[in-house]
Amino acid sequence: MRVSLPGLYIALGVVLAGLIHVVAVLTLPMLAPRDAHARLAALGPANTMIQLPAAAPGQQVMPMMAPDVRYAVCRYDLSNGPVRLRAEIADELWLVAFYTPLGENYYAVIGADMKQPVIDLIIATKDQTVAEVGVDAPEAFDNVVVVSSPVVEGIALIRAPLAGPSRGAEAERALKATYCGPHKSSSPDPSGP
Amino acid sequence: MPLTGTSTRSSLWREEGSTSMRALGYFIGTFAVALILGIGSAWYMIERGSLLTTAHIGPWKSWLSEGNPNADPYTRAHLARSGRLPLTSTAARYFVANTDSRGSSLSAGCEYLIIGAPLNARWWSIALYNEYGSLIANPSKRYSFNSEEAIRRADGSFRINLSRNARPENWLPSGTDPNRSLMLVLRVYGSRDTDISGIGQIPNDRLPKIERIRCE
Repeated sequence: MRVSLPGLYIALGVVLAGLIHVVAVLTLPMLAPRDAHARLAALGPANTMIQLPAAAPGQQVMPMMAPDVRYAVCRYDLSNGPVRLRAEIADELWLVAFYTPLGENYYAVIGADMKQPVIDLIIATKDQTVAEVGVDAPEAFDNVVVVSSPVVEGIALIRAPLAGPSRGAEAERALKATYCGPHKSSSPDPSGP
Repeated sequence: MPLTGTSTRSSLWREEGSTSMRALGYFIGTFAVALILGIGSAWYMIERGSLLTTAHIGPWKSWLSEGNPNADPYTRAHLARSGRLPLTSTAARYFVANTDSRGSSLSAGCEYLIIGAPLNARWWSIALYNEYGSLIANPSKRYSFNSEEAIRRADGSFRINLSRNARPENWLPSGTDPNRSLMLVLRVYGSRDTDISGIGQIPNDRLPKIERIRCE
């Protein structure tokens, strides 16, 4: 059987186009220079809670940020051990979402589902053990949730949707009281900031 | 047979120089076309979405598995390019509109009426952006209306006037530049209707309609 030369080139072109398409789609998430993780990394160090400025014209950390939601972010790095996140949620609208640097929302705590208005959790990788950490105060440890992070570096983002007009200042105050930092196993009192 | 064989071979030998040049030219041409097709189709499916990745309901578009760890490669690339951190669809749903309900592009040169039915969710918000996802400066510092702020009628429905000049009821100002392209984002947190996998469901007829009133 004889394949005509133009047919061969068309077949080659289609195969090449397909390959280029697949490579472009798969590599883009790694190559995007202005992804959310890069934008947040420019704001400050890891393992601290950083309040994002309220979205306003010309003042948006990320595109399409909600103008009526207040945000606080903790860019966590677990390479030196687990990280503790604590937040007293001001109202049931609050959401705490956990992301990989590629923006995968792998876990979320929904304020309305909480029995108590306090979120207290430890972010750890699958290899890190946090069980022996709380032996000094086992009763205080009961309400602590361990979030198993699929990545060593990730993002915890607290959303405080405004429950009405002119509630912005109130939400910002409540977000200021949230905590994110290294979870020290030597620390005798895990409830103190 | 051996005769024809030798003759073909000799003719090939003679034309080898020009044929290989032409082959190289064809190859480069094929490669260029493949590059344009491959990158172009990738860009289109990442930027605009396709039937596999997005749902279109009237003027609204929603990426189905945005933020989901098991999302397809197109959705992941779209997300990385966007620079956003959306919640996964079990916690929130996002709907983006670049056109009115008749399919014309949203422009600050026109005036629109957004007519919404009650949404069964803990919280929702409609925010206005330019085509790049930036908020639009206006003297009243009004960038959105949410479920707690929008003036609603007795039956829970609402109307939002989207225009450059002040309007009664709910007025969402579209800035001063009449040539600006607009984008509306509806976010729905904690939808009370969910499917078996917990993904918030908003009935199609509940999504707001965007009617163009007039253009300048």
